Amino acid sequence: MRRGLLLASLLLFVASTYVLWQQYRIPKPIGITPSLTGQAEYCLTCHADLPEISQSHPVETFGCVLCHGGEPLALAADLAHSTMRGGANPSDLSVVEVSCGGEKCHSGTSQVDRDHIQRVITSLQATYAGAIAQVRYAFGAQPDLTAQMGVYAVDGLSAFDPTTESSPVLKAFGSNCLSCHLSAQPLEGDEYSRWSGCSACHSPAPREDGTLVHKLTTSMLYTQCDKCHNRGNYNLADMQFHPRDDTPTDRLHDYYQPIAEFTLCEWTLDCVECHTRQEAMGDGHIYNNKKEIQYIRCRTCHGTLDSLPLTYTINDENDLALRLAFLNPIADLKVGDTILMTDKGEPLWNIRVLPGVEGTTPTYELFSKAEGQRSTFKPVIGSTCQQKPDLQDARYCHECHATQR
Amino acid sequence: MRPSFYDHLHPPTIPAAQARLRYTLGTGGLGVFLTLVVGFTGILVTFFYIPTPEQAAKSVQELTFLVPFGWLMRNLHYWSAQLLVLVAIMHLLRVVFTGAYLPPRRLNYLLGLSLLVICLFLDFTGYVLRWDEGVHWALVAGTNLVRSIPLVGEGLYKALVGGSQPGATTLIRFYAWHLFGLMLIMMAIGVWHLFRVRRDGGIAVPPPEHRTTHARITRKELARREGLAMVWATFVLVVLASLVPAPLAPGIQEGSTSASENLAPWFFLWVQQLLKYGDPFIFGVLIPLGALLIVALVPYITPQRLSPTELGRWFPHGGRNVQILIAILGGVIILLTLLALLPLLN
Repeated sequence: MRRGLLLASLLLFVASTYVLWQQYRIPKPIGITPSLTGQAEYCLTCHADLPEISQSHPVETFGCVLCHGGEPLALAADLAHSTMRGGANPSDLSVVEVSCGGEKCHSGTSQVDRDHIQRVITSLQATYAGAIAQVRYAFGAQPDLTAQMGVYAVDGLSAFDPTTESSPVLKAFGSNCLSCHLSAQPLEGDEYSRWSGCSACHSPAPREDGTLVHKLTTSMLYTQCDKCHNRGNYNLADMQFHPRDDTPTDRLHDYYQPIAEFTLCEWTLDCVECHTRQEAMGDGHIYNNKKEIQYIRCRTCHGTLDSLPLTYTINDENDLALRLAFLNPIADLKVGDTILMTDKGEPLWNIRVLPGVEGTTPTYELFSKAEGQRSTFKPVIGSTCQQKPDLQDARYCHECHATQR
Repeated sequence: MRPSFYDHLHPPTIPAAQARLRYTLGTGGLGVFLTLVVGFTGILVTFFYIPTPEQAAKSVQELTFLVPFGWLMRNLHYWSAQLLVLVAIMHLLRVVFTGAYLPPRRLNYLLGLSLLVICLFLDFTGYVLRWDEGVHWALVAGTNLVRSIPLVGEGLYKALVGGSQPGATTLIRFYAWHLFGLMLIMMAIGVWHLFRVRRDGGIAVPPPEHRTTHARITRKELARREGLAMVWATFVLVVLASLVPAPLAPGIQEGSTSASENLAPWFFLWVQQLLKYGDPFIFGVLIPLGALLIVALVPYITPQRLSPTELGRWFPHGGRNVQILIAILGGVIILLTLLALLPLLN
């Protein structure tokens, strides 16, 4: 009896010591109460080493849960992560409205140019409506090239369902050729590796070792765009993706596929220097193909023989250009600066007109969005260019200015 | 000095043969001890728990992760409750398989059985108080069973749930039942049960002339054995509480009505399995109530066959009929429980 009591007490003592040790090894909870939610959250207990995702999303304002979901009070990884939206990527289009939306954030607002989510979900990059229309038309499934279907249904488009298509070619298209839109899982391989949704463009892809980069950015390198673009071609003959087969070692050869023609600025600058928000993210309307939305031409920045590029002078502190410059402070843009503008009125906020003598050809300064590098350029007026003002497609410029490689 | 309640529970001496662990399994005393532990930890948990749909699961998480030793408190509450159900069932089986339900203990048998039922309800209400996705299905399915009862079902459902579907009123009602209603009944019947044990002559023993030994143990020895059992039980509780955390899941979101099927609490798995076979009223209410009725009728099924001379040992001949009946019933319940767990293997 005594021995039994001794043994039981000893074991109870050991178990109690274990309890103390277990309590001791629980990490000290690190909590914050983000001002936007007012709810305490303890994600930083484990994730204190994560850098702030962007200067527009300070952690003390947003916290983690507002965007990512999850259980704010749980310190067990499984439970804490169980209700996260979109796994590690809350910007996936299936959850983006909850994660990034709301009239104070990126949707449902009457403010111009702040309704990104509505624009993105109807954009060609997200719906793939252009490619679907082209292919369905080519194989007789629709009478014209009008966009009728997207990879999901959205106002103005029905959902493309390859299983209901009668043509086996369209079924093959459905299973082999839908790997580039914003909701698609990328193809296998680091060269294709990217996130879905907003992060497809705005966040760096996971590193080669699988670790993730906690970053949202508006200064995308061309390599980010090339996760989908310039990586190869979908072939209508066999309905397969054919990766490009060259092995480029420098930027000149890597930027575009070997067959492409381009000028100096097209490969030395990054895609985002020229291509605008509306081109990449849509403008809320349904377009039938890329050509209809991709409207930037050489003349947008360089003008033609009889006209200078469009410009406007910033005279409001809430001007979109200043907001964009705040997100990526590469240029010291301020009220009073004159910047370039597209045909649709979008500000090319990183290109400023340098003050010059009235009546002389102006000089423009460009700050690259990726690295902030400054360069200057002149308009066509005053140069030796002889291109007719009404023939301004890039191919005409490439006649003289294409880079040899 | 007037005898205290302690003295009431501990007679000066009791027969040694029937005080042996292999006869009693110690389940009565363990039941009392676990009740005290579950009550004490329950009081502590109450200081942190918030019974509103928005805060319930959060407050449980806060207790578990942020309050020092909160996890231990909650896990001890959980495990002592689970063990209490187990010990109560073992206590019932011990009584059935030793024939200890014979008059004059029939009333106490029924009191004990009602304690088990109350214990299950306490466990179920406590389980629901988590108000997280892990309990969502059982909450919806369990309360819908009440609805399936003809004529009174709807009224009972409204009284229990406080609306047309589980919500804030349900949670506060379950909270009140868990902390107050069921607790009060349990305490009243529990004390009555303990009182009756002694009033009915203590542990069931054969009449003196039929005993093989007249050795007795003292009150002190009994208390010592109980003390030892308590230390062992505490050890088991602490080990379980530190190694196997009580389940947790994300809170039930407001307005979420779809609950994916989840496992019911382990002691109701057999009912969950039964529900797969047909009409919820028949399989979820009538059959379980029938099973309970069979167990309740044990002392009344041809009790004259069992002679008091056969008491004080396991599996007396005269009680064969009910032993077989309860063994079959128990076997069926275990089988149904295993069937309910089968999907876990896939």
